[in-house]
Amino acid sequence: MRETSRLRVLGTTGIALALALFLGACKQDYPNTTFVPHSEYGREIDFLWDRLLLLGTIVFVLIEGALIYVMIRYRRRETDERPPQTHGNVIIEVIWTLIPAFILLFIAIPTVRTIFTTQAKVAAGALQIEVIGHQWWWEFRYPEYGVTTANEIYLPVGRTVNFKLNSNDVIHSFWIPQLGGKRDVVTNRTNYIWLTPDSTMQPSVWNGFCAEYCGASHAKMKFRVFTVKPDQFASWVEHQRGPAVFGATASTGAAGTATTPAGGQPRESGVTSAGGAAPAVPRPPGSTIPGADTVAAPAPNAVLAGNRQPAAGSPGYIYPREQLPEYAKPHTPIPGNVTFTKGLTGNAARGQQVYSSAACIGCHTIAGNPMSVGNVGPNLTHFGSRSTIGAGSFPNSPAYLALWIKNARAMKPDILMPTLGKNEYDPVLKTRVTTGGLDDQQIADIVAYLSSLK
Amino acid sequence: MSASAQPVPHHYTSTGLDSRKIAIWAFIGSECMLFISLISTYLIYKGRSLVGPFPHEVWTDPSTGHVFRPILNIPVTSASTFTLLMSSLFMVLALAAVQNKEIPKHTRGDRILGSSKLWLWATAIAGATFLGFQAFEFTSFVHEGLTIRRNLFGSSFFTLTGFHGAHVTAGVIWLLTLLSIDYRRGLGPKDALNVDIAALYWHFVDVVWIAIFTLVYLLR
Amino acid sequence: MATTAAPARPTIHPTYEPGKSGVWAWLTTVDHKRIGMLYLMTALSFFVVGGIEAVIIRIQLQAPNQHVVSAEFYNQLFTMHGTTMIFLVIMPLSAAFFNFLIPLQIGARDVAFPRLNAFSYWVYLFGGLFITLPIFFQVAPNGGWFGYAPLTTRPYSPGINIDFWVMGLQILGISSLAAAFNFITTIINLRAPGMTLMRMPMFTWMSFVVQFLLILAFPVITIALVFLLFDRFFGTQFYEVAAGADPLLWQHLFWIFGHPEVYILVLPAFGLVSEVLPTYSRKPLFGYPVMVYSGILIGVLGFGVWAHHMFAVGMGAIADSFFALATMLIGIPTGVKIFNWMATMAQGSIRFTTSMKFAIGLVALFTIGGISGVMHSSPPADLQQTDSYFIVAHFHYVLFGGSIMGIFAGIYHYVPKMTGRLMDEKLGNWHFWLTFIGMNLTFFPMHFAGMLGMPRRIYTYDSGQGWDTFNLMSSIGSYILVVASVIFFHNFFRSRKRGEIAGPNPWHAGTLEWSLPSPVPEYNFATVPTVTSRYPLWEGSEVDLESARINSQEGKTAADLGIILPYPTIKPLIVAAGIIVMFTGLITTKVLVFLGAAIIVGSLYSWLLSPLEPEHH
Repeated sequence: MRETSRLRVLGTTGIALALALFLGACKQDYPNTTFVPHSEYGREIDFLWDRLLLLGTIVFVLIEGALIYVMIRYRRRETDERPPQTHGNVIIEVIWTLIPAFILLFIAIPTVRTIFTTQAKVAAGALQIEVIGHQWWWEFRYPEYGVTTANEIYLPVGRTVNFKLNSNDVIHSFWIPQLGGKRDVVTNRTNYIWLTPDSTMQPSVWNGFCAEYCGASHAKMKFRVFTVKPDQFASWVEHQRGPAVFGATASTGAAGTATTPAGGQPRESGVTSAGGAAPAVPRPPGSTIPGADTVAAPAPNAVLAGNRQPAAGSPGYIYPREQLPEYAKPHTPIPGNVTFTKGLTGNAARGQQVYSSAACIGCHTIAGNPMSVGNVGPNLTHFGSRSTIGAGSFPNSPAYLALWIKNARAMKPDILMPTLGKNEYDPVLKTRVTTGGLDDQQIADIVAYLSSLK
Repeated sequence: MSASAQPVPHHYTSTGLDSRKIAIWAFIGSECMLFISLISTYLIYKGRSLVGPFPHEVWTDPSTGHVFRPILNIPVTSASTFTLLMSSLFMVLALAAVQNKEIPKHTRGDRILGSSKLWLWATAIAGATFLGFQAFEFTSFVHEGLTIRRNLFGSSFFTLTGFHGAHVTAGVIWLLTLLSIDYRRGLGPKDALNVDIAALYWHFVDVVWIAIFTLVYLLR
Repeated sequence: MATTAAPARPTIHPTYEPGKSGVWAWLTTVDHKRIGMLYLMTALSFFVVGGIEAVIIRIQLQAPNQHVVSAEFYNQLFTMHGTTMIFLVIMPLSAAFFNFLIPLQIGARDVAFPRLNAFSYWVYLFGGLFITLPIFFQVAPNGGWFGYAPLTTRPYSPGINIDFWVMGLQILGISSLAAAFNFITTIINLRAPGMTLMRMPMFTWMSFVVQFLLILAFPVITIALVFLLFDRFFGTQFYEVAAGADPLLWQHLFWIFGHPEVYILVLPAFGLVSEVLPTYSRKPLFGYPVMVYSGILIGVLGFGVWAHHMFAVGMGAIADSFFALATMLIGIPTGVKIFNWMATMAQGSIRFTTSMKFAIGLVALFTIGGISGVMHSSPPADLQQTDSYFIVAHFHYVLFGGSIMGIFAGIYHYVPKMTGRLMDEKLGNWHFWLTFIGMNLTFFPMHFAGMLGMPRRIYTYDSGQGWDTFNLMSSIGSYILVVASVIFFHNFFRSRKRGEIAGPNPWHAGTLEWSLPSPVPEYNFATVPTVTSRYPLWEGSEVDLESARINSQEGKTAADLGIILPYPTIKPLIVAAGIIVMFTGLITTKVLVFLGAAIIVGSLYSWLLSPLEPEHH
């Protein structure tokens, strides 16, 4: 019959396609894949998944195969005879009640075992990290070291880490697909999740997501996890626990100024010209904006990558910015209605003053800046060491940062960070910023200041 | 059931019961889940309130030093519970009076106590009295500082008992409607089913209160 | 072979007496068949709305970093897509069949409470409009169909959006509950003589189970919503985290309702398929008692597994294990159903009508949804799957591959009974294959997107994450589904005027409803049948066939036969309107609350004190 043969072709193609997709999925083109775990927790889950997939595939093939067989074998033929009017068969029915029960046994037993192993109390000596979910960014604290950071976690490989999850507002969910399963971040409740990144790994970066719908910018609540060698971690943490190195470097006069690229036309919309529009700091945080028409000065992080003994006052280990894989670099286009004056030079020292007298300090903390003690927004102490802004929304480069400070709400829907640029339209308040708005020069100065906070 | 020449009479039912009777049982089943949800919420939130007053414990406001006594007044509520229990008894008598209206009075052995009007009034008044107790309870709680917005206990307590009170109110209105019919044309055995359904509802509301009284007031 | 007693005649007679058509007749109807048609047409209209919402979502996600719609509007779209498809499409489509079929299948002249039935419909229509219209003004609910607190509380959702959702669902709950009381009573009490419980057609059985799920599950969501409503309007603190509230309270209440809701959505489709498969295989349903018991068991177990939606919230190892095992148990009766359907087809003489293709489509596709369901019944594995696109794939295989495929099977099967005309098989064939291909192309790649780390409910995603191809495939698939739906609607409306005349039993089916003329006369059964078999037209005794012969006669009116029918009445509609006025008052002006309450009380009294039908002699 026509339909059945078509179905056969379709079935074969479908299965072939599915297999091809599945095999493809195992390759590294899939940076967030759950099929290639990199922690013992991930592997526990993956073991279960493999079994579920195997049994599921067998059941799938058997049922769909039997269905196709029945359809072909018992299709109505020319002789339209009344088929035997069977009503049932107790033995057969008992058998096919027992078969699924039997199969489920092979799932149930390892499931329960894995539940208890993965939810057991964490081993002593684990690295404690407090995770606090905010609409829509992540606060991470290392109580052991007194470090507070945002949207980026550094983990030493081989050491168990215990995440303590709390929410500041609504429910979020903490998920690093390559390192294991997710766990909800629930208000008025403390959850834990622990895992051990594989000790054999080279320094790597993983994407993390908020997996529970948490409002307008749920899609933009991402974070990065850097799994690094223990000594690199030690260097990073040693530096992060102190105040920003701004003071030290500013005295050299190098980090304090920002030069302006050639050209002064207003920026066109889109990413391509964004770099040209923004103030460039002499020591940008290691990555240039895609399509930027200026070449940034050599990134200090290239040197730091090999840095094994951080000197006091100099930036500690940071995952080399130029080694960031594509999947860890945000590619979000800038909304067309946010532009920035070209050709401005930012001055970090001036920026610190502007920052300290502007609304910024009401929400942000910068250790070492006594004015800046707000605790509503992310801690910016080592802001310059981070790879993204807006919780994984944009690269942390001067061009993006300038636009972000100017009108964050146009760049990320509904966020708390207000629109600060003078005469900018605030899409939440639905008004233009008039009094107290920052002009582009002031923003350029703040950019220079913040970017220098390594 | 009307006798009919047809093999299947117009109001034939599979069970022989009137459909309304089955529907009210289904409704009561559904209402059980409603009150189970409310009572569970109350119990889950018990002891989770950040500020007082509390049902059974003393609480001192750390900012003002004001001492809040345990708020539940069990003797008063026992009285109102008793009233509601009595109303169920009146309801039974009202139904009996309606069912047996046509049986001559003073028949030895199955003498009918009172009239349907008397017992319907008694039930409705007992229900209204219970509501009066509840109104008194609510106002005194508000005076003592417990409002529906005060804490989790206030929210769950007022919502639970308020829902029950709304059910009692609906029941009283139902009873008054039956009474008005009784005054207009008299309730007789043909109305027994209507009264029976009202009675089922009334008893259900009563039983729910017993659960609430036990779990909210008596259980510490 | 004994099929219908009367042969199909190439005429189509009016179902209703002249003067009983026109808008007023529809507004005042208490006839279960007309109400069924109203449900069907309304639900199909909402299907278009929900479908458009889905397509906009797919356009947005077709490529990375797209901003076809804003984040805010996207969140409204996915919220309303879910809410619409669940509460305004699949449930009412099932209700259309409950209304149309249950009385016909059990040999009744109407449902137990015809006016209550009309009330249910009007409440559904008004509630549906109440919750749907805001999207046209971009103020639609935006908290997800699951409305997790505290996101939906006033501090985090200050706008009017969530108000529409809370109240809309309350209103729709009233409709579902009223209908459920009605159908429970109808099935228990209005079965024709001889129609024992174990002779009831499988659709009626599955509907029966569903009604119990409705009356037990809906009060729970009602209370959850009452808390949210009170929080938002009267300042209670049920979900107020600053006051120490536990956000999991909402989740527990919601999923105690939400999981039975899944079976509310899928069991009617199972019932329809259990009618369709035997008909076109020319064989009775295999293992009828087991099918009944498995349906009941699914319903009962459905109340014990709600927390498998919450494996990520940190309930602890013991609770996780318990709910995992309970969930796995449900796989057994579900598996049995699949096997029994296949056994029904085996040894049969299968005719591949459009209806049959959709029914087989359900068996094939629901199996996939079932398998992925078992995959996340295992909590550790679920922690990688939950809130990812894997779940989106899973429940679309259940709700599209299950419910929608089953409902389409039912539509092609029963439209001839409703309208007297067949739908076109050739167009139906196109509809089926495009749906089948489009459906798989849309939803199968989502399994991969999810396992490759794509979270749900994101309005956009970045490039370079390895999700681009899968999303493009899904979007193309959804466009194919649009084409398929256009063909369906064309076929559906075309058949009303130009479809082939069906006759009483075009498919040579065996159950009671096929003994009646098509369309079914107002009074359904000229004589209430006496039933002696599960398939009266296939294996019935002389008694069955005699009833069928009388009942298949066309052209008689109720007056000819001396059958008393209920009065038409507008009162249910007015009560329903009063409910809407009252809820609208909460978000506009208090005056309307009192006005609505007055309308409800007044019209309710008038309704209850007026007789249903002319006095019986």
